[in-house]
Amino acid sequence: MFDKNYLEKVRQEKEKWEKLYENLKERDVKFVTDSEIPIKNLYTPLDLKDKDYMNDINFPGMAPYTRGVYPSMYRGRLWTMRLFSGHGTPEETNKRWKFLYENGETGFSAAVDALTFNGIDPTNPDGAPEVGTSGVPLYCIDSLFALTEDIPIDKISVALVVEPFTSAPVCAMYFNMAKIRGYDISKLMGTTQNDILTMTVGYIPYKNCPPNHILRLACDFIEWTVPMKNVPRWHPINFTGYNYREGGIDAVQELGFVFASACSHIDNLIERGWKVDDFVGRLAFHLAAHKDFFEEIAKFRAARRIWYKLMKKYDAKDPKNFGFRFHVQTAGSSLTAQLPKVNIVRTAIQALEANLGGCQSLHTNSYDEAICLPSEEAALVALRTQQVISDESRIHNTIDPLAGSYFVEWLTDEIEEKVWKYMDKIQKVGSIDKALSTGFLYKEMRDAFHKRRMRIENNEEIMLGVNKYPVPYDDVTDVFRTNKEAIAIEVERINKLKARRDNAKLEKILDKLRNVCEKEENVMPIVMDATKEGATVGEICDIYREVWGIWEPPLAI
Amino acid sequence: MNEKKVRVLMSKPGIDGHWRGGIVVSRALRDAGMELIFGGFQNVQQIVEAAIQEDVDVIGLSIHSGAHFAYTQDVIDLLKEKGVFEDIMILLGGVIPAKDFPKLREMGVANVYGPGTITKDIVDFIRTNVKK
Repeated sequence: MFDKNYLEKVRQEKEKWEKLYENLKERDVKFVTDSEIPIKNLYTPLDLKDKDYMNDINFPGMAPYTRGVYPSMYRGRLWTMRLFSGHGTPEETNKRWKFLYENGETGFSAAVDALTFNGIDPTNPDGAPEVGTSGVPLYCIDSLFALTEDIPIDKISVALVVEPFTSAPVCAMYFNMAKIRGYDISKLMGTTQNDILTMTVGYIPYKNCPPNHILRLACDFIEWTVPMKNVPRWHPINFTGYNYREGGIDAVQELGFVFASACSHIDNLIERGWKVDDFVGRLAFHLAAHKDFFEEIAKFRAARRIWYKLMKKYDAKDPKNFGFRFHVQTAGSSLTAQLPKVNIVRTAIQALEANLGGCQSLHTNSYDEAICLPSEEAALVALRTQQVISDESRIHNTIDPLAGSYFVEWLTDEIEEKVWKYMDKIQKVGSIDKALSTGFLYKEMRDAFHKRRMRIENNEEIMLGVNKYPVPYDDVTDVFRTNKEAIAIEVERINKLKARRDNAKLEKILDKLRNVCEKEENVMPIVMDATKEGATVGEICDIYREVWGIWEPPLAI
Repeated sequence: MNEKKVRVLMSKPGIDGHWRGGIVVSRALRDAGMELIFGGFQNVQQIVEAAIQEDVDVIGLSIHSGAHFAYTQDVIDLLKEKGVFEDIMILLGGVIPAKDFPKLREMGVANVYGPGTITKDIVDFIRTNVKK
């Protein structure tokens, strides 16, 4: 980007400046990013000497999309303010959603409970005490009606945060509900998380099936919604680096996990006979905005460029398919139970990273999340945090304001290079289901847990209130408690449904599902039929378990 | 030194998959020289059976789901029923509000570790208080 003679002059001047600096003492800390990239004291045009504006950065909405996926970015449309939310019962969650909507939220996101995640009905004693404690219980079609009552789901997009093991039944319930309400599902907008790594290394799965089947279930859902055009405007998968990043892996690993996983899904759909352009335009991503301000911004910018290059590798033709569209969540693991109000500041800084990085959608954490599910007050503060940025800060006057910063452009390159290498390391193990079944990813997570713990306990990573200026862990915020009656309410809901449905008809449909699972055909059409007839999520998942078996993940300590 | 190693069963009651806490503490206890049996997901019967069979000194329960009262009470009840409650120390860790600590201690939990715990504190507590 700079003339050779000019760069030579800069080099000479820099040498002079460095001599002045030579004897100045620096503080005794390591100047590195969170992913341990060493950072220089100063960046200059010399760090960008090989860069070409058009090839490497270019204009927003143009390859390689470093500056953003859309030409107008936030001058055209702000990001979607989408708070991940769910607790107690579908009715209570509906109330919370309406409260947030009335206060300016522009997208919904369903946080489901552990039973919904694992395909366990509340009538099963295994998880009964956890009904509604960590999210909304969505066990049957009636729950979906209650969740979305009086909510204009044709106008506002809904993210269903369920993973491949239960994405077919839960989303089929949602689509059936929408059809019965009279909506044309081919026009519905929304997202299903459907991420194989979330319920394998992000959380450990409880009685789920082996990874090769989980990968196929994820691809069944993508195939049925997008290339088969049943719900073509839906985002059928949201590769969720966020969840494993929260475990302690770094920014480079986060993108490595995400892109290696995305490639395995693309390969699977190509094997099924689809062309890349038939579906990749609807694949979406969900990344973390963590503690290292500039590294996270560089990560978002690098991610767009990597995705573009990957799409070129896959020979995608339609430029609409080159854009890396992503949701961001601020880092829950950066929050402390000690001095919880400081979490508001942490979250605000992380939200700013997401916006300066050009996200399409954003969740901001509530200040009480290190202790409990968000209270209404804390959720409102989280939403207002985004609105302070959108309505008061004026950071959106221009697109990608950090482009051209010697440091940010240099760091974007560094991250990109390291991600390619790390992706390669994962892909050498094989497709993403192999990286799971061989235990490779579990070891990576284990090492990350350990490293993070050592860093915090050795004060190399500061957590205010914990390892610097420590205060005792004592609740100084009200603790939000989920509804204790939720279990009785949900068992009653299921019982009512079972009394109403045609059990003989349902049995026949479930038999067909068994057959489809054995033959490894796409499960979605039959899961649509089954959930319409009142099958519960647990009943569908029990058939998966029966046919494919239960998988014990190779955890590493 | 022939001192018997402290034996710890680390278990996750219920079905919630937040696994980082349990693994991090397990590793720290193992690094501190304790014998660590990682039970992973276990229901109440499995926890108590494993604790008896493995002759453990400590049961660590890792609970992040908000259902800590229900699971902990069930484990304690069954340990009492089997007559081993007095022999085994119960420690609880996870996303547990500090407000709940007194009641959990009253129920029979030796100590509770919430967010932001330094693992050395757990090691020290076990070393000082385990019944030998």
